[in-house]
Amino acid sequence: MKRHIFATAAILLASFATARAETVLNIGMAAADIGQIDPHRATTTQDKPVVSWIFNGLVRFKPGSASLETLEPDLATSWDKSADGKTWIFHLRSGVKFHGDWGEMTAEDVVYSLKRAADGKTSAFAPDYAVVESIEAVDPVTVKIVLKKPIPALLGLVANYHGGNIVSKKAAEALGADFRTKPVGTGPFQIVEYKSNESLTLISNPNYFRGKPKIDKIVYRFIPADASRDLAFSSGELDIVYGRQDQRWVERFSKEPGTVVEVVKPSELATLYLNEGMKPLDDKRVRQAIAYAIDRPQIAGFKGAATAVPAVSVVPTGYLGTDEKAKLFPNDIAKAKALLTEAGYPNGVAIKVIQTSLPTMLNSMQIVQSQLKKAGIDLQFEVVDHQSFHSQIRKDLSGAVYYSAARFPVADVYLRQFFHSDSIVGKPTAVTNFSHCAVADAEIDAAAIEGDAAKQKELWKTAQAKIIEDVCAVPLFEQLQVWARKTTVDYGYTFEGAIHLGPVITEATTKK
Amino acid sequence: MLRFVIKRLLLAIPTLWAVLTTVFVLVRVVPGDPTIIILGDQASEASRMELRQRLGLGKSILSQYFDFMGQILHGDLGRSLATNRPIVDDVLAVLPYTIELTIASLIVGTVIGIPLGVLAAERRDGPADWFARIFSLAGVSFPAFVSGILLLMVFSVQLRWFPVISSANAADPLERLRALVLPSVNLGLLMVAYVTRVTRSGMLKALGEDYVRTARSKGLPYRIVVWRHAFRNVLVPIVTVVGLYLGVLIGNAVLTEIVFNRPGIGKLIVTALNQRDYTLLQGLMVVSAFAIVVANILTDLTYGLVDPRVKTQ
Repeated sequence: MKRHIFATAAILLASFATARAETVLNIGMAAADIGQIDPHRATTTQDKPVVSWIFNGLVRFKPGSASLETLEPDLATSWDKSADGKTWIFHLRSGVKFHGDWGEMTAEDVVYSLKRAADGKTSAFAPDYAVVESIEAVDPVTVKIVLKKPIPALLGLVANYHGGNIVSKKAAEALGADFRTKPVGTGPFQIVEYKSNESLTLISNPNYFRGKPKIDKIVYRFIPADASRDLAFSSGELDIVYGRQDQRWVERFSKEPGTVVEVVKPSELATLYLNEGMKPLDDKRVRQAIAYAIDRPQIAGFKGAATAVPAVSVVPTGYLGTDEKAKLFPNDIAKAKALLTEAGYPNGVAIKVIQTSLPTMLNSMQIVQSQLKKAGIDLQFEVVDHQSFHSQIRKDLSGAVYYSAARFPVADVYLRQFFHSDSIVGKPTAVTNFSHCAVADAEIDAAAIEGDAAKQKELWKTAQAKIIEDVCAVPLFEQLQVWARKTTVDYGYTFEGAIHLGPVITEATTKK
Repeated sequence: MLRFVIKRLLLAIPTLWAVLTTVFVLVRVVPGDPTIIILGDQASEASRMELRQRLGLGKSILSQYFDFMGQILHGDLGRSLATNRPIVDDVLAVLPYTIELTIASLIVGTVIGIPLGVLAAERRDGPADWFARIFSLAGVSFPAFVSGILLLMVFSVQLRWFPVISSANAADPLERLRALVLPSVNLGLLMVAYVTRVTRSGMLKALGEDYVRTARSKGLPYRIVVWRHAFRNVLVPIVTVVGLYLGVLIGNAVLTEIVFNRPGIGKLIVTALNQRDYTLLQGLMVVSAFAIVVANILTDLTYGLVDPRVKTQ
């Protein structure tokens, strides 16, 4: 009897010793809640990282990178392109399982997903897919995409970003509107619980095709109060935290023991868009005066060298097609004043500006305001809350609009949304052309269908030069993303870029 | 008493109607567009227009108003514009946390506030009185987010007694209680300030009354004179303040909920407002207004308990 008791105790002890404690990654995000994590709708900073943990594309951005040049196979193992560049054949990985009981991923799911991404009713990224003529499943592991015209960045459209994420057809159809909070993909993590205004919990996908993740669970917490989020990270309750794009924050947390602060691309380009449809900005000389009155290095210096750099063009750095050596207006107050006098405003001008109360945006704009004042340009702020700001600037109510954005890293997207006449606010096709800019339509359109990469870059360069020369907008500075992690966390790659605006948690990510 | 409650609930209907109408109009007067949250900032104006139609935002304001009122009369709060989830589910998910925080804060407020007020009155102008007056002044003047951060820095980061991120929904009741301590102290401190002041002034008045002097001259023990004779007469103003505060706590919990990252009605209201989620905001207002009506009825019923002269009939 005694022997039995000892044997049982020994087995129990052994099983306790071998049972591995669950590895939980606690991540703190600066948001009150998720927006939506349907990958074809997710556009906000808090949603995009989650999407990257749940989904795959046919190709993927190398983890830790935000560059199109690093695209590598994901759900597709290889692909072929026709000589005219219009037909693409993708060969899919076989045996890939969707989360839960949603079955195996096939060409049918890929066709469904890409068609869904191209449909304005189900996707926020439909315009990106306007170039697609047809998508069809050749067999369960082969997909054929035919384009209306060849484009150099087709792989970007099928990457694990925005519309390129592959969803389960069965799940999307069965869950309907619920899919936006319970999406089903093939990625390393799957959603198990969503607590509104509190947290989202994901567990590892045991069938992940690259191997079972070493992290068992991710608890993604929504902590809108900056101070509370920072305290939770300092107290060790969070392993990874969304950092503030602020020099002092970076310096403070860099000194905290056991902490790594990472400042990564893509940057958001902060730009001042000048409304050519409003007086006195309809006069090019007034717009030029504003461009001369802006001191870019001073603004970037104020925002902090660790997280901000002066802008180089009207498109952010690192995008396919950005003219990194664009000729921007230098800071010259005397010239600004002379131009105003020449335009008939010797005593200066006043410009009405709808401005958001969001502190980071408001304080940047206050620097711009003080710089312009030196040249006699008075920016008169009407400060409103952030949602009202978004609504009012789209109703063409502001003389100048301060807007900060990152987009898919191809110049076409930025140029089209901010500077093509189709995107002018007020039109049915409007996106974010707040300046009523229409000087570079021909180049933007020609570049979009240009098959020769060098010629295409040249067209984008000309478009940028024209926009800068006409002063549709004055680029100000670029703000990088800031994240901090405990040294106990190893992403499994070098975190230099985050196309998904946050760290990708992969099967290789570990926590000690 | 049942007739009293029913009568009060019926009287609450016009109040609720007025609140709902005001909220309905206000949320639509404030500029903003829920489609920016739902579709993101890269969607075209045409897709926004289509979504507005689909959400019923393209209809006339009057037609939206009748739809809304019709839904409310059927007991249906509708679905959230942003998440499409039933609003009842969202509200029920966070309501218990708001209720437990409110009750815990009330307990903190009264358990500290009343004895402190009585002590201050007993020792008028003495050190205890000065302490109570300064303490209550500080409680009123400290914004909840400042006191919340201070509490977190001391008790969570330095001493590690409590978590920074409230695990308000922990399955373990002890853990849940642990997560409730700092938020309820933070919210309760604000109430302590008011309760102390009302108790102190009420007690000062009562202690100077003839019946107290008589009781003392009869040789009754001091404790009995203070608590049984004087204090019972101060209960009515205290209940009034506590009752009023019940409503204030429900409304003011928002800062505490945000700082301590607790789920709750207040936090949900802020999210709904930021997202211009009109339907969710309306639903939350219905619940808040109803909670305040219930709090008032409870206060009135308590009057009858603490003072037999007040009849509910």
